Amino acid sequence: MGPLSAVLFEPVGCLAEFSPEPFHEIAVRLYGRKGKASRSAGREYWHLLNLMEASDSGSIEALEVEAADGAILYEDVLPALEELKAMGVRRLLASSLCDTAITRFLAKCPHQFDAVWTRANARGIKTAPLAHAIEAASLAPGHAMFLTDTAEGLVAAKSLGIHAVLMMNDPDEAKRLATHEPAGGIVSLHELPDFIRFIAGRYAT
Amino acid sequence: MKKISIYRPTTVDDAIQILSQHGKQAGVYAGGTDLLVRLKNRLDQAPTYLVDIKRIQNLSYIKDDGQGGVQIGATTKLAELADSDLLQKRYPMLVEAIHMISSPELRNASTLGGDLLQEVWCQYLRGGYSCWRNGGYLCYGAIGDNSYYHSAMGGRLCYAVYPGDAAVALIPYDARVKLATPAGTKELTVEQLVPGDMLVDGRIQSHVVRFNEILTEVTLPAPKLGLRASFEKLRPRGVWDFAMASLALRLDVRGNTIEDSRVVFGGISGKPLREHAVESFLKGKTLSADLGEQAVAVALANAAPLKYNSTKIDMAKGLLQSGLVKLNGTA
Repeated sequence: MGPLSAVLFEPVGCLAEFSPEPFHEIAVRLYGRKGKASRSAGREYWHLLNLMEASDSGSIEALEVEAADGAILYEDVLPALEELKAMGVRRLLASSLCDTAITRFLAKCPHQFDAVWTRANARGIKTAPLAHAIEAASLAPGHAMFLTDTAEGLVAAKSLGIHAVLMMNDPDEAKRLATHEPAGGIVSLHELPDFIRFIAGRYAT
Repeated sequence: MKKISIYRPTTVDDAIQILSQHGKQAGVYAGGTDLLVRLKNRLDQAPTYLVDIKRIQNLSYIKDDGQGGVQIGATTKLAELADSDLLQKRYPMLVEAIHMISSPELRNASTLGGDLLQEVWCQYLRGGYSCWRNGGYLCYGAIGDNSYYHSAMGGRLCYAVYPGDAAVALIPYDARVKLATPAGTKELTVEQLVPGDMLVDGRIQSHVVRFNEILTEVTLPAPKLGLRASFEKLRPRGVWDFAMASLALRLDVRGNTIEDSRVVFGGISGKPLREHAVESFLKGKTLSADLGEQAVAVALANAAPLKYNSTKIDMAKGLLQSGLVKLNGTA
């Protein structure tokens, strides 16, 4: 891995504690999903994105907004984002959530992102926000990383040549996802500046 | 085992020159009890060129510095430290700790410098996983079995604990080290020597010694009057294992009052962990039977155990309590 100049963030699972319930509810109502919601909001969210990708039934924005409103920002997010800014690392929000949900989410961490991509302005979900964020920032994919806590997130980033870095929120889930060959992993956002510094330092020598 | 070439310089200057010539591909070889295992395990950071410093004169000694302190050469064997009357007389807690390092056989080969600068003993690193210390970008200890050899106090990308006992026991005595560098001699405290995970010359390591520097000497100042010290270590096996938690405790006592202290935990963090909160708490306190319980209440407030190792914090707190009880009874 070479030096990284940008980090792409998907809020669900990486920046805040979301409830899985609203995403599950959308999947139940629009796609007839059976069974209980996963304990992981990230897994429930990406499962919903898979369903959205496979059919044309869309989403229920009100429930997405409910999820964003209820999300609790991880305590290490703001210090990490500030440090990345000071390091000159671009912070790009690239999400498959709707505009309104992202706007509500951004109220919890205002002025922290250099660019914001949603499924509306990216005109698509999963890889679309990532691809648009990279292209608009004139970045080589190999100079960016995407932080994710799901297998689908790893696949999406890798398919674009972006370094897929595992957010190891749950050790057991992370152990499973480590077999998907992520480019790296961190336990907490507070490690992210060091992650980027260490890679730069290793590359320099 | 990885293929290697060995240099056998006879002076520190020559050794530094060879190390400088080969950069990160070279490494210092003394006792070999850590290095040879790294080579055998074919770890990414294991050197290709070994610079054997055992032929260098005057790196192995234990001597009185003439001012009540002691100087120890970096290649002095741990067994020699364990058997030293001089150290036993002035720094009995250090000798106690040295006796708890590894096995008698390994203490016969291991050097003090090697113990201070050894690589972490995470089973994932030693098992060849592509972790931060082995060319990768992920800590498997953070998500795997972290019961024994991983930090319960948070981490900095790598969550392995600093495994050495000697540093933990030297810090309470305010020990210092000398490093030979291309620019001359550099002096540091032991605490500065092993600050925990650092990026040095593109590698993550627990110490700050650069690729072309050599640890040459450890110095201990004269022990103060009224100094009481203890070392305790809990490990998975009663002998021959690394600490799950250890504690080196020093109290400077006048009458029955603690004037100063050093509280250093091992086995629970990526570095020998000096617990300043407890040191502040103890200052001015009278030694008493219930002091341990009070000290435990302020200890390790920043603990951040991983999934399987919260018991390490309980162990460390237990050691603090028993250490204070032990020193309360020591006149």
